[in-house]
Amino acid sequence: MSVLDFNGTQVQLNEEGFLVEPSIWTEELAAFLALKEEGLEQLTEDHWSVIRFIRGHFLENDSAPMVRAMCKTTGVPLKRIYELFPSGPAKGACKLAGLPKPDGCV
Amino acid sequence: MSDVDELETRLEALTEADFQRGLEVFRSKLKEAEAAFLNACVHCGLCAESCHYYRMDPVLENIPAAKLETIAAVFKRHFTTMGKVAPGLVGARSMDKDMARAWVDAVFGRCSLCGRCSLNCTVGILLPRLFRAARAALGAMGLTPPDLQATVDTALKHGNNMAITREDWVETVQWIEEELQMETGDPEARLPLDKHGAKILFTVNPREPKFFPLSLQASAKVFWAAKEDWTLTADHGWDLTNYGLFNCKDEEAGLITQNLVDAMARLGCETLVIGECGHGFASARWEGEEWLKQGFPFKVMSILELMDEYLRDGRIKVDPAKHPKKVTLHDPCNLVRHGGICEAQRRVLRASAADFVEMTPNREHNFCCGGGGGQLAMGRYKARRLNSGGMKAQQIRDTAAEVVVTPCHNCVDQLGELNKEYKLKVQIKTVAEIVADALVP
Amino acid sequence: MNPLLAGVMLATIWCAGALVVLYMRTKAFGVRQLHSRPAGDARAGVRYAFTQGMAPQAKESVRMNPLSYLAGMLYHTGIFAGLALLGLKLSGLGTPRVLGIVALLGATGGIALLGKRMFKAHLRGISCPDDFVSNLLATGFAALAGITCFLPSFASLWLIETIALLIYAPLGKIRHCLFFFPTRYHFGAFFGRRGVLPPTA
Ligand code: SF4
Ligand code: SF4
Repeated sequence: MSVLDFNGTQVQLNEEGFLVEPSIWTEELAAFLALKEEGLEQLTEDHWSVIRFIRGHFLENDSAPMVRAMCKTTGVPLKRIYELFPSGPAKGACKLAGLPKPDGCV
Repeated sequence: MSDVDELETRLEALTEADFQRGLEVFRSKLKEAEAAFLNACVHCGLCAESCHYYRMDPVLENIPAAKLETIAAVFKRHFTTMGKVAPGLVGARSMDKDMARAWVDAVFGRCSLCGRCSLNCTVGILLPRLFRAARAALGAMGLTPPDLQATVDTALKHGNNMAITREDWVETVQWIEEELQMETGDPEARLPLDKHGAKILFTVNPREPKFFPLSLQASAKVFWAAKEDWTLTADHGWDLTNYGLFNCKDEEAGLITQNLVDAMARLGCETLVIGECGHGFASARWEGEEWLKQGFPFKVMSILELMDEYLRDGRIKVDPAKHPKKVTLHDPCNLVRHGGICEAQRRVLRASAADFVEMTPNREHNFCCGGGGGQLAMGRYKARRLNSGGMKAQQIRDTAAEVVVTPCHNCVDQLGELNKEYKLKVQIKTVAEIVADALVP
Repeated sequence: MNPLLAGVMLATIWCAGALVVLYMRTKAFGVRQLHSRPAGDARAGVRYAFTQGMAPQAKESVRMNPLSYLAGMLYHTGIFAGLALLGLKLSGLGTPRVLGIVALLGATGGIALLGKRMFKAHLRGISCPDDFVSNLLATGFAALAGITCFLPSFASLWLIETIALLIYAPLGKIRHCLFFFPTRYHFGAFFGRRGVLPPTA
């Protein structure tokens, strides 16, 4: 477990850098995590549409969406997702959207 | 509550009956081979450097023999005369809370069950066999790391280890079929679903449909080029993973294997083909029949063997010039050292890439990437996992390769993290991805 | 009969008997029935395990620890020389000095390994008292066997030490003199069956 200092609030991350408390997520925190965990200085509109979709899906279904759904809903092509999030849809995009770590080999 | 506290809470709650149950399960996993192993270690310590954990962090606890001794001490105390009569002399210890903690640390926390120590042991002890018996015993005591167990539970409940619904899976397959048709320009290119009597049932790792469908598309493209008679199944039995290999609860592993057996029976296929996955291959090819205590009425193959055959028989043609970058190969422990698939992937890569270099050491002597043994599913040991992977990072760096190919999604995942952690700046690909991109008519 | 020689005989019987009992106990765990189809030949793996698989170049652990390997080889050769001397002595055939020299060299190997075990923290960490007792008994045996070739008056001491060694052998880790064989066998059979050993390249 590690703790990030985000504008004075202590954000707890689990061993793998996922939020311990997914409910504390905000868009500002996502931008902050993007820099800290993914090394992304700037989040583009494409980033945001993917992140917001994942977040919404999580709030509704309590799980990460399929990459199929990410592409279909946001219109971002598959190959572009991997460019947007260097650690991939699971360890990259889902992490920034404040999801807990999915089970299995991700 | 952090995982460590969680472990302490569980340890505190252990009763004498739990220890007894653990010991019984441990005993039940031992056959004459393991009993001989437990009498054979001479404490020479020469196995130390064979372990990537020890190489990257040379502390006593990381020596394979030290992990083995933790197990053997309890064996001696409970199952040998000398251990009962003179425990101090022979280093025997009773199973108790402290030993249970030491077992968890040794066999879950410091071991990827890679078996590299077996090959380097002075005597030839197959250490992972004993570590597995210990994991099973810990499971019976309720000490399996919760996230590892959750992966198994998900597979038992949903038929795949990422809880993908039938609808999502089928939709993804159809989507990849469209993508494949666009890529090949062939409107007839298919990802057949539930094709009865197809020669081959192909199975995949759930992370492919969930997050990384390009590797599924690559495999499908190879089948398309080879005009293979193959199918996927829409229902249970499409997931090749089996984390029962890692929690070492054979009954659960058997139930997961049964999904594959049922799918083969349902569709009447001849050969079960395991996609690129080390532990999935070892589970289906080697352990599944032991878990179910009976032979399969069908053949099990790795897609690597199949691609090798396609090339040999001229069913597919590749142009290595399509891969001018320097490529190296990581050997997954469960596919190579424990799986026996050693040369197929090399022949395929040599044919498909212009500049292929071996890592040193390689083949059955290869170092684990650090992600094996279920380590990727055990968050509490992440720091150790990444640190132990330093050995692999160094091996990769020494080759100066730009692309690291590995026929295992588990390894792909760990290598991806190593890439970031050690700033390797390499691309990581599966063998099918390399072949698919090198295909020529 | 010389009581010491009789003692050696009795101790030998004990040692052999106890090893047999130990072996039967491991056999009692039962054979693992295998259902998967072999990819390679278990017997070829076993042959490999007992031949090239034991060559120094087969193991990285040996390449990385050449001195320990050398000391170990010397040690074991010395012990076998000591056993040969014991056999000759018991048959009244005398104690040839060349074997004595081999035994003495073996004892130096044993002392070197003992030193390593005492002074290298990690090796000490994986050791228990039995490791030291076993080493001292076996090293003493080889040393006294060698000395007796040159100074016959040490014969009694050597035989007493031999009795101690034979009594202790099955109780501690010297039992690996037996368990080495099934272990190596299972090692070879496992990797042979899976088509991993003998190596392809
Ligand atoms: S199996 Fe692999 S990780 Fe485990 S102790 Fe042996 S070398 Fe180390
Ligand atoms: S190399 Fe084998 S015999 Fe020697 S300490 Fe390691 S496990 Fe024991």
